[in-house]
Amino acid sequence: MMNLDPTPYKALAIGMWALGMFLFLSAGKRRTVTLLAHATFLSGILVLAGFTWMLWMDLGRPPMRTLGETRLWYALFLPAIGYTTYIRWNYKWILHYSGVMAIVFLMINLMRPGVYDRDLMPALQSIWFVPHVIVYMFAYAVLAVSAIVAVKGLWLYYFEKQALSLSRFLPVLGPETDADGKVVPWSMQLADNLVYIGLGFLTLGLLFGALWGKEAWGHYWMWDPKETWAFLTWIMYLAYVHYRHHRPRQVVGPLWVLSMAFIVLMICWFGVNYLPSAANSVHTYTG
Amino acid sequence: MNSAPTSGSGKPIWVKPWGYAEGWFICLALLITGFSLQLTIGGLDPQTLSWPLNAYLGGGITLLLVVLWSFARNLEIVRWLARAPAAITSIALITFLVLLMGFTLQGSQGNPVWVQKLGLNHMTRSWPFLFGIAFFTASLGMATLKRLLPFRGRNIGFFLNHAGLYIALLAGILGAADLQRITMDLRPGEVVWVGTDQRGQLRELPVALQLYSFNMEEFNPKMTVVTSDSARMVDGIETQMFEITKGARGTIAGLDIEVLEYYPLAMAFDGRYEPVNEHGAAPAALVRARSGQGRSIEGWISSGSFMLTHMFLPIDSTYAVAMTIPGSASYSSDVAVYTASGDVFDTRIEVNKPVSAEGWKLYQYSYDQRFGRYSQLSVIELIRDPWLPVVYTGIFMLLLGSVYLMFLGKAPLPAEDTETGQEAQVHDEGAFAMLVEEDAVSTNPQKKAVTPTYESELVS
Repeated sequence: MMNLDPTPYKALAIGMWALGMFLFLSAGKRRTVTLLAHATFLSGILVLAGFTWMLWMDLGRPPMRTLGETRLWYALFLPAIGYTTYIRWNYKWILHYSGVMAIVFLMINLMRPGVYDRDLMPALQSIWFVPHVIVYMFAYAVLAVSAIVAVKGLWLYYFEKQALSLSRFLPVLGPETDADGKVVPWSMQLADNLVYIGLGFLTLGLLFGALWGKEAWGHYWMWDPKETWAFLTWIMYLAYVHYRHHRPRQVVGPLWVLSMAFIVLMICWFGVNYLPSAANSVHTYTG
Repeated sequence: MNSAPTSGSGKPIWVKPWGYAEGWFICLALLITGFSLQLTIGGLDPQTLSWPLNAYLGGGITLLLVVLWSFARNLEIVRWLARAPAAITSIALITFLVLLMGFTLQGSQGNPVWVQKLGLNHMTRSWPFLFGIAFFTASLGMATLKRLLPFRGRNIGFFLNHAGLYIALLAGILGAADLQRITMDLRPGEVVWVGTDQRGQLRELPVALQLYSFNMEEFNPKMTVVTSDSARMVDGIETQMFEITKGARGTIAGLDIEVLEYYPLAMAFDGRYEPVNEHGAAPAALVRARSGQGRSIEGWISSGSFMLTHMFLPIDSTYAVAMTIPGSASYSSDVAVYTASGDVFDTRIEVNKPVSAEGWKLYQYSYDQRFGRYSQLSVIELIRDPWLPVVYTGIFMLLLGSVYLMFLGKAPLPAEDTETGQEAQVHDEGAFAMLVEEDAVSTNPQKKAVTPTYESELVS
C-alpha cells in the first residue's frame, strides 16, 4: 500500500477538465473566458502529471505495472494530445471528446482503486520497461483521438440530418465551424496526421518490446496472445495507411477501418485478459 | 472496400491492370489450397528448413523478386504485386489468419478436433499461414524494389520501413529452425556441459557451467487476513493489504493491525521468533490486532519456508491475521563459465541480464520454486540464434523508418497518383462533400472524371 491518496488529485483533474471544457463551450468571442478555459484545462493535465510523478516516487518503481496504472497514463496523454491537436490544427471538438474520454478512464480508476504496491517482478526490471509502456500508451492515446475522428466522421455521414439539428444545442455533435459559424468541409487530414504519429509510436513500442523480450525471455517474438493482438493492431493501422494512400478520396471505407482498428487495439490493451486463448500469456496483468 | 468479382470500375477480372478483385480472388485461392493441404497432409515442421537450406531459400526468394522486377516487369502479376491493392489484400489475408489465431488457444491441448485438423491451434506452422506470408512478402519485396530502383532521396523513409520489415520478417521466419534453446540444471559445485533441448533430448554444449551460488532477494511480505477454518484470503481486501515493515499499521477486514517487530529472516524459539541468518529461515513479524469490539490480540505471524510452518494469528472463529509469501525482487546465479576455446571466467547471470559465451546467450531461467531463496537448483537457458544480427538489422531500419514517419509525415505519393490529381482535396459543396464522394461516383458524371479508377494505375 502507498502513503499517497490518489482520490483528491484525480477528482481535481476531472473537475478542472470539466470546467475547462465548459468554459471553452461558453466562451464565444470573449477573450478572457477563453484564456481562463486554456488555463483551467492545462492545469488539470498538470495536476495529473504531478500526481503520476509523486506516485512513481512513492512506489519506488514506474507506475506502469497494472491495468489501472496504464489507464492513468492514458488519461494523462489523452487530454494533452486533444489540446495539442486543438492548438495545432484548430479542431475545437477534439478537445472535448478527448477530455470526456480521459474523464471516463479516470473515473474507472476512482471507482475501482487498484492495488498499489511496490513489488515489481524481476522480468519487468529492465531499462526497456519505461520506454516500452510510455511509447505504447502514447500511441494508444493518439490512436484513440483518431478513433474519435473516425466515429465523428461516420456519425456525420450516416446521420447528417440529426447531426445538424442536434448541433444547435450541442455544437460538438455537428460539423466543425469556423469563427463566423460557417461549416468547415470535412477533411481526412486530421485522421491521417494522427494515424501517422500513432503508427510511428506503435511501431516503436512493438520493436522496443521485441528488443526487451530478447533480453528477458530469450526471444524477440513468441506469438504470445498479447503479441498476437499487438501485431493485429499494428497491421490494421498499416491497412488504413495503405488504403488512404491508394484511394485518397475515399473516406467512409477508411473511417470504418479506423474504427475497427481501435476495437482491435482495445482487445490488445485489456480485452486479451478475458480471452480464453490468452490463458497462458506472460502479459496478463490484474488491476 | 470492393469485394465484388469485378472491380469497382466495372473492369472484368484478370484484365489488366489488376486491382482489388484479383487480390481477393488470390486470397481465397490461397486459403482453399492452404486448408486443403492442411487437412490432407497435415501441418509444417519448421525444423526441416535449417541451415544452410534456409539461407539458400531466403537468398533465392530475394533473387527471384529482383530478377522478376528487373526483367519481367511486363508481366501483370509483377507490376500488380508492387502496388497498393496487392499490399492491402495480402494485409487483409494475414489479418484474417492472425485474428483466427488470436481467438484460438495456441498449443496442443484444449481444442476441438476440427480446430486441430485445420491447424488453427498451430497457426504459425500451418499451410494457410505460410501462403499468406508468402503473398505478403512478395508484395512487400516488389513494393520495396519499385521505390528502390532508381533510388531517390525522398523515398528513404519508405525504403527503411518496407525493406526493414522484409528483412526482419524473412530472417525471423527462415531463422526459426536454427534457433536453439537448451536448458541446463545447475546444482552448487557441479560442472555441467549437457543440457536438454526443446524436444527433451540431451545435448552436449561448447560451454560448461559451475554454480557457485543461487541468490534471491525478496520484497517484504504483505499483511493480510484469512478465514480461520480454510486459511483462504478474505474476498475484497486486496486494496487494504499493506507491506510489512516495523511500525506499519492499517485496517484490513475491519481489523486494526499494527506491526510491532519485523525480521526478514527469523526462526522460532519457544513460541517467539529471533533474527537468524541460517538455512531455512523465514520472515516473521510480531503484530497486534484489534477487532471492532476493542479486543486486542498480540502474537507472531510468519510466511514460513520449506522448513518452517506458515504461522497465523487467529483473532476469532472467522478471521486470522496472516503474512503473504514474499514475491521475488530479483534472482541470479553466480557461476564459473568454461568455454571449449579455453576461456574461463566468473560471472553473474540475472533475469534481464543474459551473459554471452561462445556464440550462446545464457539466461537465468528458473529455480526450484518449492524452496524459494533456498533453492539448490538453478536452471540456466542457453540460446543460440545465428540469424539475430539479420533480424536486428531489419528492426533497426524499422525503428529509423518509424521515427521518419513521425517527424516527416507520410511517404510521397507515387508519380501516377499525383499526376492524376488523386491528392486529397476539399470540395466547396459543404461539410459532407468529402464523405458523400463514394456515392456521388455513380450518380454524378462530372465527378466520375476525377474519381480515381483503375485507369490511373496504368501509368506505372
